[in-house]
This record gives sequence, C-alpha cells and structure tokens, in this order.
Amino acid sequence: MRIQIPAWLGLVCMCGLLSCGNKSENPVSGPTPISLDAPDYFPNNVAMPADNPLTEQGVQLGRMLFYEKKLSADGSISCASCHQQQKAFTDGNQFSFGVHDSIGDMNAMSLSNLHWQNRFFWNGRAASLEEQAVQPIEDEREMNLPIAEAVSRLQADDQYPALFQSAFGKEEISAELIGKALAQFQRTLLSANSKFDAWIRNEVQLTPGEQLGLELFFTHPEPSLQLRGGNCGDCHLGFLTAGDPNGFTGFHNNGLDAEGNLATGLMAVTENPFDQGKFKAPGLRNIALTGPYMHDGRFQTLEEVLDHYNDHIQNSPTLDVLILEASNELPDGSNAVKLHLSEDEKKAIIAFLHTLTDEEFINNPKFSDPFN
Amino acid sequence: MKNLIYTALFGSLLIFSSCQDEETPATMALNIELEHVLAGQALELNGKSFTLPSGEDFTPKKFKYYISNVELRNSVSGETYVEPESYHLISEDGNKSIDLGMVPSSDYDQLVFSIGVDEIANGKTDQTGDLDPNSDMAWNWNTGYKFLVLEGEFTNSKTNERQGLVMHIGTNPNYKTITQPLSGVRAGKATTLTLNSNLDELFLDPNTLEVSELESTTIMFGELAGKVADNYSEGFISIK
Repeated sequence: MRIQIPAWLGLVCMCGLLSCGNKSENPVSGPTPISLDAPDYFPNNVAMPADNPLTEQGVQLGRMLFYEKKLSADGSISCASCHQQQKAFTDGNQFSFGVHDSIGDMNAMSLSNLHWQNRFFWNGRAASLEEQAVQPIEDEREMNLPIAEAVSRLQADDQYPALFQSAFGKEEISAELIGKALAQFQRTLLSANSKFDAWIRNEVQLTPGEQLGLELFFTHPEPSLQLRGGNCGDCHLGFLTAGDPNGFTGFHNNGLDAEGNLATGLMAVTENPFDQGKFKAPGLRNIALTGPYMHDGRFQTLEEVLDHYNDHIQNSPTLDVLILEASNELPDGSNAVKLHLSEDEKKAIIAFLHTLTDEEFINNPKFSDPFN
Repeated sequence: MKNLIYTALFGSLLIFSSCQDEETPATMALNIELEHVLAGQALELNGKSFTLPSGEDFTPKKFKYYISNVELRNSVSGETYVEPESYHLISEDGNKSIDLGMVPSSDYDQLVFSIGVDEIANGKTDQTGDLDPNSDMAWNWNTGYKFLVLEGEFTNSKTNERQGLVMHIGTNPNYKTITQPLSGVRAGKATTLTLNSNLDELFLDPNTLEVSELESTTIMFGELAGKVADNYSEGFISIK
C-alpha cells in the first residue's frame, strides 16, 4: 500500500504534465518537427542541437537561403554557386570564385552527412554547422556581404519575414536565425544510397575489384604478418568514411608538404605548433564527383591522390603517425615513407571509391534550387 | 515561538538521522573515474613528450580502450552486481568515466572488469552506443574491434629518426579480465572509484618492450600484440 500511493500520485502528475503540454501546443501552430531519415548503420548517438531542432519550415527556409543570391554583395552568387548538387555540392574548381571574380585559397568541400560532423572548414574554425553557415556570407573572398546587410536585405524582402515567422516564430531576422536555417537544410543532405550502402544492406555484391578495394581501404597494413592495407580507414572512418568527429581527432597532416612548406591548418585554431599542416579529413561519400582533391585542390584525379599516399608522402614533424608508420613492406633502411601498394591494389581502392557515388543524392529534388 | 521552531527543527533532524541508522537504502550510486598516467605524469595528447620505461621518448597522439562487463562483488555475502550491456569506450580525449548508476547496496570488496570486448560482442557489427562500428575502434566488418589503441611517435634510438608507434590490440585471445580489491565501499553510500591506467605497464611486466628494437612498430595481431595484451592484463589498471 505504501508503494501504491506514490505510484498513483505519479500518474496524476504525469496526466497534469500531458494536459499542460496540450494546452500550450494547441493555440499556436508552430513549425512541424521532422527527423533525419538516416539508415540504422549510421552513428545513432548524435542528438539534434536542442536549440535548433529540425523542422519542415526551417529546412525549407534554409534551402531557399542556400540558393539565395541576395546573400552576396552584388547578388551574383549563392552558397550553391560553390556547392553544386550535381557535383555532390562542390564546384569542380581548385579554388572557388567569390564575388567580382575574387578567388579563395581552399577547395570547396562536399556537403553530405554533416549531422555527424562537429568541426567545420578545412581548419576546423567553426564548432557547429550553425556557426559555419554564415561565415562565407561575410568572407570578402566569397559572398562579401556584411551579415547586418544580409539581415536587412532579407527583412525588406516580400517573403522572408513570413518564412522566418513560420520557421522560428518571429519575423525579426537575425544572423543567428540565418545560420540555423542554413544548418537545418544542410543536415538534411543525407547521402545513403550508394552502391556501398546497398552492399552494407546486403542488397548487392561488390565486384572482386571493389571488394578488394574495400578491404584494403579499411586495413592498416602489417607487413610482418603479410597483412596488406591501403590505410585509408584510419582517418576516413566507418560507414560514413568521414573524419573522427571527436574534438580535433579528425584533423591530420597527410604529408602533402615538407617541413618548411607546411600550411598553418588547424594550428590557426588551436595555436599549437603540433597542429601545423593538419586539415580536416573529409567524408569520402561521392568522392568520384568532388575533384579536384585535398584542401588546396592540388590533385585533379583519384589516381593522383593514390599516387600521393603511395609514393610521395613528405615527412615533417607533424606528419600523422598512421601514415608515417604504414607500409606494406618491412623497413628497408631508407627514410622514405612509402605505402608500397601495387598498381592493381591502387586500382581496386579507386574502384571501391566509385561505389561511394550516390546518384539519388545528386538528383534528389529536395536538395535542388527552389527558385527554378 | 523561536524555541518552538528550534524544537521542530531538532525533532525532524532526529527523525531523519534515526531513519538512516535503521535502514540502508536499497540502492547506491556508483561511479568509476579513470585517470591515465605515463611516466608518473598525467597523459596529454597535445604534443607533449613523455619517457617510456625503456628511456625512449614518446609523444602520444591517441589513447583509447574498451572496459567491458563490469561487475561488483561482495566476497563475504556473495552478492554480485553485473552491469547489463556493459561496454565502455574510454579515451584520453573523450569519455573517462563509467557511471554504473544506482546499484544494489552492498559492501562490495571486488571490482571485476575486462579490457576489450567479449567474443559475442566482438563478432557482431550491428551494434550501437560505444560499440557503434562507425567509431574508429572497429577494424572492419570481419575482424571485430580494437580493444586498445595507443598511437604516437618516438625517436628511434638507433637511427635517430622520428618514427611512429601504432598499437592496435584486439582479437578474442587478447580480451583480458581483471579483478581489483575494493576497500571503503559501504552499502548505501554513494561512491566514486578512481582507476589508474598506467601506460608504462603496456611496455612492462611480463614483457619488456623497447620500441626502437622492434622489427615493425605497427603492433597489430600476431605474437607482439599478445605480449602487449599480457602486459595490460597485469598492473595496467589498478584502483587508486
């Protein structure tokens, strides 16, 4: 009996809470919550940000802002100018062009499966998608529009105040809400229907070459056991084939430059010399569509990328140990860092990389220009 | 009036304290914190150099391991608490605690846990939480999990070259169970246990490792991985 009383009280409390919830929801029809329709083999431990839950109206607004040229100084470009859906949201250039043909110094990153990432830009300077989304608007080499000007342009528009009202409950537009809406849209950019996905779901077989490539991709070599590996999966992890989202763990110096020529990279954010020359390991979904490659777009083809990792690693004090230490042959006394993959093995890895192409993703009408 | 209030306060105090004397709560909060130490200093992954037991320098970059199947035992009464779904990925730059939550009250005097992932969990990939194969602890879809990962760099004492050390230890024989005595755990009393993971012990006892002497400093599978596992089964993790 002593147990029953609190239980009964608990029930009353719960009913009270439920009815309170109903009351507050009924009068105002707020934005419609939606969830990410991600496959069950994607990481399931990443919550939506509590202060920016995904809603139908927020995503739709974000999609419009993503394609909105008013967000550039001269109205000539939008986010989508450098992040084009047909190229898995890259632009095919080594460096992207901003307003007035100004040119950046980084390769436009592909956008997909961003919900599972926590640091953005090649050097990791943004801690959230919300924070990242507004920076290119202001960057003088990109859209070159002071964010206050972006806010007032949208505020003066016929449509946007009402759209912000329905997405966020207020007509007053702010930089923060622009970032939130863009982040919501970008979170919906799920790429999960490549051949690799179909293989994970047991729907298709890989060709022998693709299968060998997959195994090499995910294997760190151990020459004393004749275990051959391409050493890719040490940085491009798991089913997402993306960098480690834990802090700055997913940033690496992948041997592009020797000691004297190391770029600043992550050191710009951490101010630790240990992080010089480290850049974000990007997700490799749709990698066959997103060349040129590397943070500075220096390689045109996947073959060049594989040749780099196999034969042309430049040693430096911050070179990633997983690269420094990876070889398919036992040390021969020389100091060169070489992976020693065969031509057939390199081809197999590239064949596997092509299984990451997702035609549905690049043609999904939900991600396309809403103004067309 | 004042006196009345004092009397009431004192009275209620008496009632509360007498309750505590008579009844031990059925459950108690138990939390485990882990501390990582190398060469007597707190581990850091930001470029700081440490000295290995061999005297070689070592700059760690990544340190992660699984603690699983945590049990609390009272060897006097025979009571045992086995944590369900007990898989914890511990990492220097991530989670370093195991919150067992509310456990049945007892004067536990033994803590039992394993380093690694048991054979059943190691044979599956459709797992969630700390066993999510998307973390970098799964080798691939055939080989199971890395139980312990230590990566870093050292200066080879023979060549004077910077070299990487990559320890990826896994496979079922290297799953090791450890029992540690507990003192001071009292039934009903919330307790935080501190475990000390001493990285020196990965290179010592029973197998002494001198990294400059190794044929390959990628330690995965094979005999050498087994030697490291023997090292972590003894003296690596202890109650502080």
